[in-house]
Amino acid sequence: MRSARSDANMASSEKSTKERLLSTLDDLEVLSREMIEMLALSRSQKPPQSGEDNQVLELLVQRDGEFQALMQQAVEQGRQQQEMLRLEKELEKRDSDIQQLQKQLKEAEHILATAVYQAKEKLKSIEKARKGSISSEEIIKYAHRISASNAVCAPLNWVPGDPRRPYPTDLEMRSGMLGQMNNPSNNGNVNGHLPGDALAAGRLPDILTSQYLWQSTDVSMGMLPPHHGNEFGPGHNKENEDDVEAMSTDTSSSSSDSD
Amino acid sequence: METDEQARNRFQSELEFVQCLANPNYLNFLAQRGYLRDKVFVNYLKYLLYWKEPEYAKFLKYPHSLHTLELLQYEHFRKELVNAQCTKFIDEQQLLHWQHYSRKRTRLQQALAEQQQPQLQPPHGNAASK
Repeated sequence: MRSARSDANMASSEKSTKERLLSTLDDLEVLSREMIEMLALSRSQKPPQSGEDNQVLELLVQRDGEFQALMQQAVEQGRQQQEMLRLEKELEKRDSDIQQLQKQLKEAEHILATAVYQAKEKLKSIEKARKGSISSEEIIKYAHRISASNAVCAPLNWVPGDPRRPYPTDLEMRSGMLGQMNNPSNNGNVNGHLPGDALAAGRLPDILTSQYLWQSTDVSMGMLPPHHGNEFGPGHNKENEDDVEAMSTDTSSSSSDSD
Repeated sequence: METDEQARNRFQSELEFVQCLANPNYLNFLAQRGYLRDKVFVNYLKYLLYWKEPEYAKFLKYPHSLHTLELLQYEHFRKELVNAQCTKFIDEQQLLHWQHYSRKRTRLQQALAEQQQPQLQPPHGNAASK
């Protein structure tokens, strides 16, 4: 405690222990020199100045006492310094440990984050694949449908002039349900032959009796379209029907052009 | 609101209509009569996009119509369809694409036939010229 207070004092007076020790040593040196001089004088001269040498002696003793105290203090301070150094070393070691741990934690976090992200991506793609999964049988059936009717691949013997097309031709459009809707003379025979056209195109029977009608009346019996509640506008969503019938005979003339 | 029968008829007519869109001449017809400029019609085209779902797409006999439907969502495309040259070009490209697979198949068959030729006649002068 005393050393702590003297440390505080030391701090306030800004004199280090070393300085004080040295100054005390100086004092001791001076005093002892005086003492020796007085003794030397008292040898040669009879009348002793007793008061002075007592003073000097007292001062000497006091200074010696101070010196001893300061030495103690110095030793104490030395020990504390050692302790401080030890603690500092330990602190450094702990610091580096913590930093190492921090680095490892950060790395672990990074790795885990990557793993989690990739796992999420995988899950997303699994979900996507699952959503889009279709039975192979259905796909094969559909592939057969669109290929057999030459809808996606031209027939091998196709030459320019062949009326077959990868889209419904005039004829097919008119003989479909939309085409028949505005034809009041038709007695409900949706897939019937139109007399005039049947003569014009010898292929008509083939198209209409093809197993895969593009109107799909047979296949789609259970299928309903999504509801739309007339949001397109006031009753305008059926205007296309008129057009199919009214469409002029703009024949797919590219077949007769140079192809 | 809508009876089952009405819904089925609507399904049928929408199925037919969406496939008609594969016909470039029909597209030109629609464009020239201004239907493609009508906002209501454009909304209807957007509604028709449900045919892209697998459970509806399986009824389409002419898959080209889906591509045309997607293109029709863009105003620029709708504007261009007024030109007969544009639709003629589309028609030609469509036909050429349609013939692509059969051409590829005939080429493959020819290549296969050529491969088998040298095997049948090994010590022939022509083999060296190849």
